[in-house]
Amino acid sequence: MSDSARTETETVYDAVIVGSGVSGALVANELSREGFRVLVLEAGPGGELTTGGYEGYLNRFYEAAGKDSNSPFAENPNASMPRPAHVHALRPGEPDDSSYIVQNGPFPVDGTYVRTLGGTTMHWEAKALRMLPEDFHTRSSHGQGLDWPVTYDELEPHYQKAERELGVSADVEDQSFLGISFDPEYVYPMHKLPASYLDQVVAAGVDGMEVCLGGEEYHLKVRSFPQARNGIPNPDYDAGQGYAPVGAVSTHQVEQGERCQGNNNCVPLCPVQAKYHAGKTLAKAMETGSVEVRTQAVASRVHVDNETGRVSHIEYKAYEDPSSGAHTTHTVRARIFVLAANAVETPRLMLASGLPSSSGLMGRNLMDHAYLLAWAQMPEVVGTMRGTVCTSGIADVRGGAFRGAHAAFGVDIHNDGWGWAGGGAEAQVIDLVDRSNAFGAQLRQGAVDRISRQLLLAFMVELMPDPSNRITVDGRYLDQLGNPRPVLNYSIADYTMAGVAEARQLSRRIFQRLGAEDHTEYRPTDVGYVTHQGQGYVIRGGNHWAGTHVMGSSAATSVVDADQRSWDHENLYLVGAGSMASIGTANTTLTLAALCYRSTERIISQLREETAPATIRSTQEEASA
Amino acid sequence: MTLTSITTREGLHEYLHAAIQLEHATIPPYLTALYSLKPGSNSPAFHVIRVVVVEEMLHLTLAANILNAIGGDPDLTRSGFVPRYPVYLPDGETDFMVSLEPFSQTAIDSFLLIERPAQSPSEEERVVRRSRAGTTIPAVNPEGDDGLHFYSIGEFYAEIGRGLQYLHDQGEDLFIGDPSRQVTPDLYYSGGGDVIPVKDLESAYAAIRLISEQGEGLAGGIYDEEAELSHYYRFQQLKLGRYYQPGDLPDAPTGPALDVEWDAVYPTLRNAAGSDYPADSELRAASDQFNADYASFLGELTEAFNGRPDLLIPAVGGMFTLRDQMTRIARNPVPGRPGVNAAATFEMPEVAS
Repeated sequence: MSDSARTETETVYDAVIVGSGVSGALVANELSREGFRVLVLEAGPGGELTTGGYEGYLNRFYEAAGKDSNSPFAENPNASMPRPAHVHALRPGEPDDSSYIVQNGPFPVDGTYVRTLGGTTMHWEAKALRMLPEDFHTRSSHGQGLDWPVTYDELEPHYQKAERELGVSADVEDQSFLGISFDPEYVYPMHKLPASYLDQVVAAGVDGMEVCLGGEEYHLKVRSFPQARNGIPNPDYDAGQGYAPVGAVSTHQVEQGERCQGNNNCVPLCPVQAKYHAGKTLAKAMETGSVEVRTQAVASRVHVDNETGRVSHIEYKAYEDPSSGAHTTHTVRARIFVLAANAVETPRLMLASGLPSSSGLMGRNLMDHAYLLAWAQMPEVVGTMRGTVCTSGIADVRGGAFRGAHAAFGVDIHNDGWGWAGGGAEAQVIDLVDRSNAFGAQLRQGAVDRISRQLLLAFMVELMPDPSNRITVDGRYLDQLGNPRPVLNYSIADYTMAGVAEARQLSRRIFQRLGAEDHTEYRPTDVGYVTHQGQGYVIRGGNHWAGTHVMGSSAATSVVDADQRSWDHENLYLVGAGSMASIGTANTTLTLAALCYRSTERIISQLREETAPATIRSTQEEASA
Repeated sequence: MTLTSITTREGLHEYLHAAIQLEHATIPPYLTALYSLKPGSNSPAFHVIRVVVVEEMLHLTLAANILNAIGGDPDLTRSGFVPRYPVYLPDGETDFMVSLEPFSQTAIDSFLLIERPAQSPSEEERVVRRSRAGTTIPAVNPEGDDGLHFYSIGEFYAEIGRGLQYLHDQGEDLFIGDPSRQVTPDLYYSGGGDVIPVKDLESAYAAIRLISEQGEGLAGGIYDEEAELSHYYRFQQLKLGRYYQPGDLPDAPTGPALDVEWDAVYPTLRNAAGSDYPADSELRAASDQFNADYASFLGELTEAFNGRPDLLIPAVGGMFTLRDQMTRIARNPVPGRPGVNAAATFEMPEVAS
């Protein structure tokens, strides 16, 4: 790029972290508490952690005609992010490079993530589930996928730390199933959020229902979801110390969001910040005075010292104006480098730096949950649109012996109607006005009749790691700053599709028991349409990208070790869902947060052991044309 | 040497009833100004007022906890509990009246008077003699003298503290209330400090200290013990157009600029009454409905403070409805009065007649 100027700072940080999402924020906060000097690079904007900044996102969302989960964020060609509207059905053999992620197919993924301060917690739903103990050894137990180099029991203390920092509301009694165990004294920081009326109606029909998978009977029960959303603090937490919920991030004491108000606008953004986002952790980290955050700074190359194999420095491109590719190139040095840019951006950066891992697995084993939606109209008004987006679901078939043959799945009962499938509140009102010419009382009543009876079940179906599902880079596809864009190859294995078929079958039986009218329809023209054994389904992404720098017990079979440290580069940690060797049927955030706590312990001891100061160089590098 | 005007349990009950009424009396004016702000504008002003009003609700609850702890029965449904505005505050401050009016410089001036720090220099001036013509709130009568009034809300609470101490020293068994009537932190979320269950002199003092410091700061400082900016200085930021930050001295904030759009406000009718709206109009119906709902809401609070604290959780839904009603009313012009919008009137059914 002809317009790049190069500068190099003299400071050698203890740690440079790429990415300010939940992983980066947790690591930065832990290191800063130990007095280490940390620099966080964020590709997107959002330098100020203020209520005004947050409300700017909210207002943009309110005003947007299309309210997808990335609608609060301005288009930024220097740090693009995927949006569902940009994903199209693919023609065989033709890559779709019309938006940021180049989709090679055969299956187009409509998953998203956020590139702004706070990362994807700026639009996440905040379900905070622990994985099942059996999810950590699916290879040994079920002959599928990969075993983790860590067990549930080893990660349990870190789950506790993650639940404290993210502020999780749940009850231990509800969450003790399929082998999930807790410290005998443990309670969650806050009590579970109350079940919605819809949950209660569904539970009345579903509780006790039997389902047969792999020749075994499972009894279903509607149970609450743990959520990183402020509820009523549990006075028994922390041996009776209780828990103080963290509300809105603000420099001016706005004091809101310390308890969920049921606005049902959880995704993308809770209007009062009762939902956790990484800004809450970043604000604490920055208060220590030892954390610096640089936004609009896109890491572009990781440099490795060939003699030692250690990362020597990271290059980043800083820009002022998102609409222009004009930028300056800078170099930062540190003793430890942490890539926390999510399971797409982290391997993209490594591959763009020519670092495919000696295992060859960088970018491979990409996983995301395959979501199957099923929707129906309940026989009576059930108060749809009240509560948070999702308060309860069914977890009884998240694990079991059948996983040797097909995927497990969890079920979400959505309180926000059919919105995800299309045909939600907005579509119904448009239809009433445009087609039925309804107004006034008739419009109001019509909206109640239609929307308040909507039931949407979302089946989260597991997907096992497969090296051919992968992120790569290709010099033909560059973004406005000249950084390679992610190129995606993805398909959904029969193992998962067999689980999808079971899920659809179960949805029919549930609707039948509830007396609900099934409106589910999968059209061959829909993005994500797949057939399996002659039946068509539409699969949607869960935005739970994982597996692309998989952890394992040897350098030959994995990218990082059990502490998320690169096997190839001893001062490099790749943290986040990319390290996960399986995703089971749990949203990835709580587990990746637990992994970050595990890693910070190792990073801190490494920083203490390697006390010798790193060499400070002040070479002026040549600008490459 | 300090003499208190509170010498009996009944006297203390009366003061605490007045405290509940006093805390409540600030809420309609703050809400009226808050919901006169046009949506999407004036976010900083919105947050400043909002925090203060939720803390007034906390103070009301704390006063109810103290009254419950000493065996009283909080009642927010008594005739005259909601005053007709403009009104003098029921602690007897008589040099200004409080109105229901849209957000404006005048409104903030009046809020600053409500929240002014205790500063009477001497014992004699703690209780000042003034005439109280025009008030509709029956004020407490220090020393049984209708002419005695407190200079500030802080002075008023200090008097309650002295009364508690006096009765305690007299050997009175003060804390005889049923502990299950206390509102506890699990049931009460304010975003401005935790509610304190009151069971003894120490917790009663803690509750009084929280109320006083949130209102006017700690010992002349602008922040309270929890490093929270006091109400007076929160409001003052709107006048000065700048945020305070820790370390600042009174009247000289040095934080970031605070932009107020004084014009991005619905021009609502000052001290509106139902009779300002045409009979049989939708506006009148909406206004009457709001008043009826507000009255039932006060009934729910009374029930909650009389043995059913768990009712505070469902009451939150009612508060959102009241907010929506106020906002809707404020968006409507008053028929026949160009340039003037309606406002909720806070005329309780038995008062309105």
